[in-house]
Amino acid sequence: MKNKTLFIIIAGAASALLIGLFITGMVLATQPGNRPATGALAPDFDIGLYQGYRAGLPENIKLSDLRGKVVLVNFWASWCVECRKESDALEKVWRQYKDRGLVVLGVDYLDTEPAAVKYLQSYDTSYAIGDDIQERISRAYKITGVPESFFIDKKGVIRKTVIQAMTQQELISTVEGLLND
Amino acid sequence: MRHTSAWMRVRIGFFVAAFMLFAIVANTALAQAPDPSDQVHTIAKLLNCPTCGGRNLADCPTDTCTQWKQEIRSQLDAGKTQTEVIDYFKTRFGPTVLQEPPKEGVILLLWVTPVVILIAILIAGVIVLKRISMPRQTGATITTAVPQVADSYAARIEEEVNKS
Repeated sequence: MKNKTLFIIIAGAASALLIGLFITGMVLATQPGNRPATGALAPDFDIGLYQGYRAGLPENIKLSDLRGKVVLVNFWASWCVECRKESDALEKVWRQYKDRGLVVLGVDYLDTEPAAVKYLQSYDTSYAIGDDIQERISRAYKITGVPESFFIDKKGVIRKTVIQAMTQQELISTVEGLLND
Repeated sequence: MRHTSAWMRVRIGFFVAAFMLFAIVANTALAQAPDPSDQVHTIAKLLNCPTCGGRNLADCPTDTCTQWKQEIRSQLDAGKTQTEVIDYFKTRFGPTVLQEPPKEGVILLLWVTPVVILIAILIAGVIVLKRISMPRQTGATITTAVPQVADSYAARIEEEVNKS
């Protein structure tokens, strides 16, 4: 009888362990976690820029190489309908402020290059666009979808996060503020 | 009368056959299943939709998946093999793009751990059950009642037997 009880305890504990592992795994897999906080140093990353979308930058750049400039990291995708709302505004603001030290860095999320290039051509995009290989950048920034944008100041600190398509006016007011800092 | 009955049977048989043929054709037309021999479909079956949480790429109608399927078609048209196309998606989007994650690294641990735990439970179960089925031994010594026959009595029996 003691052995039977022992067996039931062991089997029960092992089953509970298995179920616990399963639930923990599911919870961890579905929780995106917190985005890097405003005021924190922006997570550094490498990005390979698409041919024709380097905006005077080298083919492979690091975010930390852009210290001293205001960087707008914009996550987008060609299949993203919401992203279309801000594409024109991003291009206009980039052209307006590039000489004052603004870098717009588009991070192409879960996209194919031909579809991305077709999209960019349709918006006459000329700012820097690169590919988020293996979702390394989007994981580091814990994005939950596209579009999402991170405004990074000259010291590499995140100053604002926007989780929706932005208007030109909103872009201008944020960029002006950071460039004047 | 017999002729009429036979004719009826022929007519009924004809209608049954026609109905079955119609059912088969209608079923085939309605099913509209993608041709499994289609290589794009075959490859898409091995990949996940990137935005639908584990949904098969082949069965997903979203814009993202349509683009990915177009990319598969383009690569096949460019002469790439199925392995090369899958490797491209794995390299570009990571191993989570695969319907069946590769059994290597940390993922291997996820495959192996439940099996190891189950085997351990089975082994423990067998050991415990064996123990349960074994007869219990107590501290008391087991004594067998052996009839004690006195030496003199035995000698007398032997003597009587020899006499006869």
